[in-house]
Amino acid sequence: MEITVKIFRYNPEKDQRGHYVSYTVEADPNDRVLDVLELIKGHKDGSLSFRRSCAHGVCGSDAMRINGRNMLACKTLIRDVGANITVEPLMGLKVAKDLIVDMDPFFDNYKKMLPYMINESPLPADGRERLQSPEQRARFDESTKCIMCAACTTSCPSFWASDEYYGPAALVAAHRFVFDSRDEGASQRLEILSETNGTVRCHTAYNCTNACPRDIQVTKAIGELKMAMVTGKLE
Amino acid sequence: MGLKRDVSLSSALGYKGQGPYLTYILHRIGGSALFIFFTVYILSLVGVDSMQALMSNWIFQIIVLVFGLFHAINGLRITILDLSPKLIEHFRTAINIEWVAYVLVAGFAVFVVLQNAMGG
Repeated sequence: MEITVKIFRYNPEKDQRGHYVSYTVEADPNDRVLDVLELIKGHKDGSLSFRRSCAHGVCGSDAMRINGRNMLACKTLIRDVGANITVEPLMGLKVAKDLIVDMDPFFDNYKKMLPYMINESPLPADGRERLQSPEQRARFDESTKCIMCAACTTSCPSFWASDEYYGPAALVAAHRFVFDSRDEGASQRLEILSETNGTVRCHTAYNCTNACPRDIQVTKAIGELKMAMVTGKLE
Repeated sequence: MGLKRDVSLSSALGYKGQGPYLTYILHRIGGSALFIFFTVYILSLVGVDSMQALMSNWIFQIIVLVFGLFHAINGLRITILDLSPKLIEHFRTAINIEWVAYVLVAGFAVFVVLQNAMGG
């Protein structure tokens, strides 16, 4: 089938502002949007820039706005988005070139969540693992699935208003450790989350949950953090 | 180097966030409608003639009811889900129930206003 792909283009060395360029290409309905971008870059316009790495929905590099909605280009089939496709960079982050955005504010917010295990207690007597029951592991299982693609954070109206807001992805990272029975940094993280740019700025628009390519219940995770902050209980 | 971070109102409204995002937008519009209503109401109490006329205008009443009731019912749904995070994964069902409740309540309210306007 013949499809038309309208792509946001911006070259910082030439352009004052972004513009759109349309490309008409042949594609199979079962092709992915990433395949089409590769085709355009390889055969039509080698200057087209976008991020991609694993191309199988694991690395999270190719999150972009496809027909007005955040998706991974490598997980989006042409048959699901139609013959007229608009591809734009993620909103709320600076555009470096074409579909590539500056991810620094996103990762800065992630780092603020102390995304690592905090446990100062001595190791168990056998000196090996800190054991955890399947139920304890299941408590935060969903938030371990995050691939840091930024699809959630850049679909959030609160993040659009200010990139000081930690954003859904950072809050999911906090959830992953706060509810981990082996971690001892929950109070520290909940303190950070209670700041002006923490959970209070989540207004439950659910764009994050809809945008997540891993089907993480992002708003639910944020809701659980809010409840933990109010009750002080990690249940 | 690079384009400045700039999310315009039109691009924000253009995001295809589906049903939940629509309720988010309507909630803000409803809040604004309530703010306008209270301003007009207080000014009418003070004795501003034009505001008194606006308060008794049935079109104004319907606009305030339609948006104000949505704000109230949507706020109730948000509160319930906030208090029970486990229910959040059923947010689509919650929003569908909210719409049914809203159409019934707002429909009745508009009917009463129209009946009053026609009869009066």
